[in-house]
Amino acid sequence: MSSANEYAIVALGLRKRFGELEAVRGVSFKVRYGEVYGFLGPNGAGKSTTVGMLITLIKPTGGEAFVAGYSVVREPVEVRRRIGVVFQDPTVDRDLTAIHNMLLHARIHGVPSRIAEERAWELLEMVGLEEHAYRPLRDYSGGMIRRFEIARSLLTNPRVVFMDEPTIGLDPHARTGVWDVIRELKRRGVTVFLTTHYMDEADKLCDRLAIIDHGRIIAEGTPSQLKSKVAGDTLYVRVEDGGVARLKRLLARYGEVKDAGNGLLVLVANDAPRLLPEIISEAQREGVRILETRYTRPSLDDVFLLLTGRRLRDEGGDWRFWGRRVARRLL
Amino acid sequence: MGEKGSTQTLIGGSEADKPRLKALGVGVYDPGFARPLAAMMHRQLLRFRYARSRLVNAILFPLVWLIFFGLGWSAAFNMAGGLARRLFGGLEYLEFLAPGIVAMSVFTGGFGSGLGVIWDREFGYLKEVLVSPAPRPALILGRILGDSLVALFQGFVMALLVSLVAGFPGPVGFVLELIAAYMAALASSSLGTLIALKMRSPEGFHMVVNLIMMPMLFISGAFYPVTPLPSWLKALAYINPLYYAVDLSRGLVYGVHNTPLLLDAIGLAAVTAASLALVVKEFSRIYIA
Ligand SMILES: Nc1ncnc2c1ncn2[C@@H]1O[C@H](COP(=O)(O)OP(=O)(O)OP(=O)(O)O)[C@@H](O)[C@H]1O
Ligand SMILES: [Mg+2]
Repeated sequence: MSSANEYAIVALGLRKRFGELEAVRGVSFKVRYGEVYGFLGPNGAGKSTTVGMLITLIKPTGGEAFVAGYSVVREPVEVRRRIGVVFQDPTVDRDLTAIHNMLLHARIHGVPSRIAEERAWELLEMVGLEEHAYRPLRDYSGGMIRRFEIARSLLTNPRVVFMDEPTIGLDPHARTGVWDVIRELKRRGVTVFLTTHYMDEADKLCDRLAIIDHGRIIAEGTPSQLKSKVAGDTLYVRVEDGGVARLKRLLARYGEVKDAGNGLLVLVANDAPRLLPEIISEAQREGVRILETRYTRPSLDDVFLLLTGRRLRDEGGDWRFWGRRVARRLL
Repeated sequence: MGEKGSTQTLIGGSEADKPRLKALGVGVYDPGFARPLAAMMHRQLLRFRYARSRLVNAILFPLVWLIFFGLGWSAAFNMAGGLARRLFGGLEYLEFLAPGIVAMSVFTGGFGSGLGVIWDREFGYLKEVLVSPAPRPALILGRILGDSLVALFQGFVMALLVSLVAGFPGPVGFVLELIAAYMAALASSSLGTLIALKMRSPEGFHMVVNLIMMPMLFISGAFYPVTPLPSWLKALAYINPLYYAVDLSRGLVYGVHNTPLLLDAIGLAAVTAASLALVVKEFSRIYIA
């Protein structure tokens, strides 16, 4: 199983059927050690179900998966020893304090108490909760519980961390904090598997990501690869009045050019970051003085639209809350 | 095992990664069996400390019985004189009732602890526990041990309160009463947990518990002796774990019992063992979906 050893996560045709509904319909992907890999998809796409199978709590109805080199079906305990998990819904003991929750986690995971205590405080500090360590989690806000759970998932120093919508319900400040934690994990060589339905989050954090819809991966790649599927980037180049005609001729080689007036030319083309320096040096050679350049790239939302004909948007709090309550009843 | 058994080894992966990962302290721990067991036990004790209202609940209900039921009947039986005494094996009615009330308090407490299992599922903590590498039997057995200690503590407080009303049975009698109470606590916590694992909602659990708790109380021999009962009711008493708990308790404290004490003990142990076996089986196979 050489591929299982090179990769932190390997999924081979994973499937999960809940009665009539097939929530995950043959999902395959590989995540290298040290990568931040994202699952981006709308509500009900099958993100949490896939995570559930990878962390050994949901039994696949088909396919196979390996995490840290171990089969999630045949060697679940070995997998559990190597992962950290942040579930979509809270999984804390609300009657106990944060520090008690931390230390219990350490003890059921076998972290020696000396190390555990030190790390627990470090991690609580990292997420800005050390002052609230002795409060029962009942008194925490949703965002604080989220941050607590992220800290707790790192207590065992796991090599692979699963985070199911880690920033859901967080204010913008706390969201940025979580992003910083994820970037820090990446810097330390930890593999992060992340699900989200925020495209900006996926775009900013993920080395690679899969777009998932109706239980299938409909596209996979780096954020820029995915976005390059959409017609192209839009480049804006402004020149001195005298150079407009010459620049227009030059740009026409790369794609369709529009004159926006005031010396501003607009070009739609693929791969603007590669193109832009080329255009600038060409222009220099022709003696055209460029005053300003900029470009915009398509968003992952545009990619989703292209692939499914629908927009990928947050449907709003109430709806999700309702859906989740129903899901919890079902468990 | 415990702390010494915890090993920190490197994860299987490409060779080139290993030194770097070691420097970072990325490790794989082995929780062993004893530590998660102790942790889950400790958790139940901590929860109890942070939720004192539960103690009040578990004490209040039996206390109400002792005072309003016990004192009332005791006055009535005193009028009947010697005949009543013979019925209660030579004991005052309050003395007859006292061990039963303690056993009942412990049993209610132990049974009710099963509710925690359901809340853990409801509030997600179950997932946090299930995704850990700790052996599932250690997790659930630790929890039951913790619950049984909490129930024992309730029994202890109850025994003290009861002796104010019915008289202190002496230090030896008191300790013996607690031993009986602990056996009852283990049996009821195991049984309560088993029922909870089979249930999906708190409402369902309450329904089942109320449904079986009432008849269990009445044919336990706590309030009246089971000897004069019709044989079909007596047969029910003999499959009632609370009956054995009450008989054992009364036998140990006052030397008055209906079945041999060894049989009482074996009966309770058998209920405990069977429930635990089923609990471990049920809990070990849990996939959440
Ligand atoms: N235990 C279950 N029993 C039955 N159906 C389920 C269960 N869990 C999930 N589903 C269904 O499977 C589908 C995928 O659910 P899943 O939770 O994986 O979606 P998701 O991508 O995580 O969505 P969200 O963004 O809302 O969290 C949904 O239609 C959901 O209703
Ligand atoms: Mg989800």
